[in-house]
Amino acid sequence: MKRPRRTPLSDERRALVLSAIILLQGLTAVFFVGDIVYDLILFGRIEGLHLWLEAFAAVALCGGVVFLMLELRRLLERVAVLDRGLRAARGEMAEVIEAFFTDWGLTPAERDVALMVLKGVDNDTIARLRGTAPGTVRAQCTSVYTKAGVDGRAQLISLFMEELLAAEREDGPGE
Amino acid sequence: MRTVAVWDPLVRLIHWSVAVAVFLNAAVLDEDGSAHEVVGYIAAGLVLTRLVWGLIGPRHARLAAFPPNPAAAMRHLAGLLKRQVPAHLSHNPLGALMVYNLWATVLALGLTGYMMGTPGYYGMEWVEELHEALFGWLMISVALHIAGVIVDTVLTGVPLVRAMIDGRKRLPPGWGEE
Repeated sequence: MKRPRRTPLSDERRALVLSAIILLQGLTAVFFVGDIVYDLILFGRIEGLHLWLEAFAAVALCGGVVFLMLELRRLLERVAVLDRGLRAARGEMAEVIEAFFTDWGLTPAERDVALMVLKGVDNDTIARLRGTAPGTVRAQCTSVYTKAGVDGRAQLISLFMEELLAAEREDGPGE
Repeated sequence: MRTVAVWDPLVRLIHWSVAVAVFLNAAVLDEDGSAHEVVGYIAAGLVLTRLVWGLIGPRHARLAAFPPNPAAAMRHLAGLLKRQVPAHLSHNPLGALMVYNLWATVLALGLTGYMMGTPGYYGMEWVEELHEALFGWLMISVALHIAGVIVDTVLTGVPLVRAMIDGRKRLPPGWGEE
């Protein structure tokens, strides 16, 4: 038999395979737990070595499913970070910024203000450009910082800086 | 056009597996056969697995991302009549209610199906009638679910079926979360 050439699975394929395994194990766990619940209803208690072993297997299986689910979540988060870094490296910074704004749930007005903040426009100028009171802009900025989980303008900008630097490291020198 | 990875592979696998299971049990398998029973349990097991994933999975898969909110669903319905519906990263409020409805119905079908085969309830007519009523309700729900997907796709311009296949939502430009 010809052995298939082994290629490293891409993260996305790994996630898919992991999902399929979780699915099968989840179904198996449901079957075992259901079986034990059925026995419990029938006999009122867990009796005999066999049933105890079965109960142990069911608990272990459930634990395994939860563990694999957490693994999958970590993998998916990693894929998302890598994807973001790659986009930033490809000069799609605007898209990365948009994605962050969406993630934070910024309103259209807050998006405008946040973008101008990133471009280094000061509050008074933003207020003039948007035709609002400086107090409004300050409030919008505060809201943006809160949603982004940063404590001010400098931290907001450094957040995107980090994204860019991480992307360069990920990409390595040269194409 | 921005694309956002929304549905992870586990969500998608479970979604289409449940769809296949429902289709098999509704249209293909003999309802008195043991295959019907097995497929029903598998569907219920899939929903249970999804519920666990909804507790510990990533953001968009979490139940907390689309809590049942009848008031928001009604607002969404009102917006629908005016043909103004915002795009959502997870489910829209009306779609979220449908999700919970579908899950509950599949689980209830599994439970009543199980009861029909247990000595304690064997031959009891109300269990069988309940099972059949639930099946009818599931068919109505599936039809509404598909209609909802079509309407939402047309109004928001986000191809939802494709998002459930490759996991990515293609959002119209200038899109902002509510």
